[in-house]
Amino acid sequence: MVHALREIRRVLVPDGILIDLRPILDQWPIEVASARGIQETGRVQDFPIGVVDDEAANHSIALAAENGWFVREQEEFFPFYYSWDAPSEMEEWKETEWHDFIGLNEETKRATRSAWALGDADAQVRVRLKMLITRWRKV
Amino acid sequence: MSLQTDPEGSERKYLHKFADFAGRRVLEIGCGEGRLTWQYAKVTDLTIAIDLDANALRVASIDRPSDLNNKVLFSQAESEYLPFRKETFDMAVMAWSF
Repeated sequence: MVHALREIRRVLVPDGILIDLRPILDQWPIEVASARGIQETGRVQDFPIGVVDDEAANHSIALAAENGWFVREQEEFFPFYYSWDAPSEMEEWKETEWHDFIGLNEETKRATRSAWALGDADAQVRVRLKMLITRWRKV
Repeated sequence: MSLQTDPEGSERKYLHKFADFAGRRVLEIGCGEGRLTWQYAKVTDLTIAIDLDANALRVASIDRPSDLNNKVLFSQAESEYLPFRKETFDMAVMAWSF
């Protein structure tokens, strides 16, 4: 990844901008949401490989900054929702798309299904990802 | 499946808060099917979006609005070996690509 950052720096004009936008594992909350309110039913479990990936990315960009390639100008976290009409769809998505880096325990699955079943007709299940956005300027 | 991503539009809001894309030459790394690309490319001078996944790039090309045909280009490339001359772009976006 450090090599990619060096390449990005090469193709940027002097004072060019690099936007780094990515999700950060942080035991993302699972929520059942309807017009009436939001209920947190549990959190996903972060697998070590996902945490290692995040740490590697953080290390690479920190190294690029240490090397004087980029200077950080602005950084914030913000929520990003994945939302489904039913818990089964959320579980299917987790199994097919996210199985490498997060888990979902049975207690959380049960709590989510129960809250959704008892919820209003418009109730949706959602996972709140933690997003990091950083603006870097080429030095 | 009824999946909705970012129904509140937070990503778009923060992207434009952090960068002014108007009239810029932008390189997007890890564009996938172009979900993020469509949130900013219209105002750029030129957007080149790369990914390793040929199938995703095909979807992105099919989904490209006709008015962006000359403004948004997709290419299969690795971020470690960018096939561009130095100082080609005003801005680079690493989109969910670490």
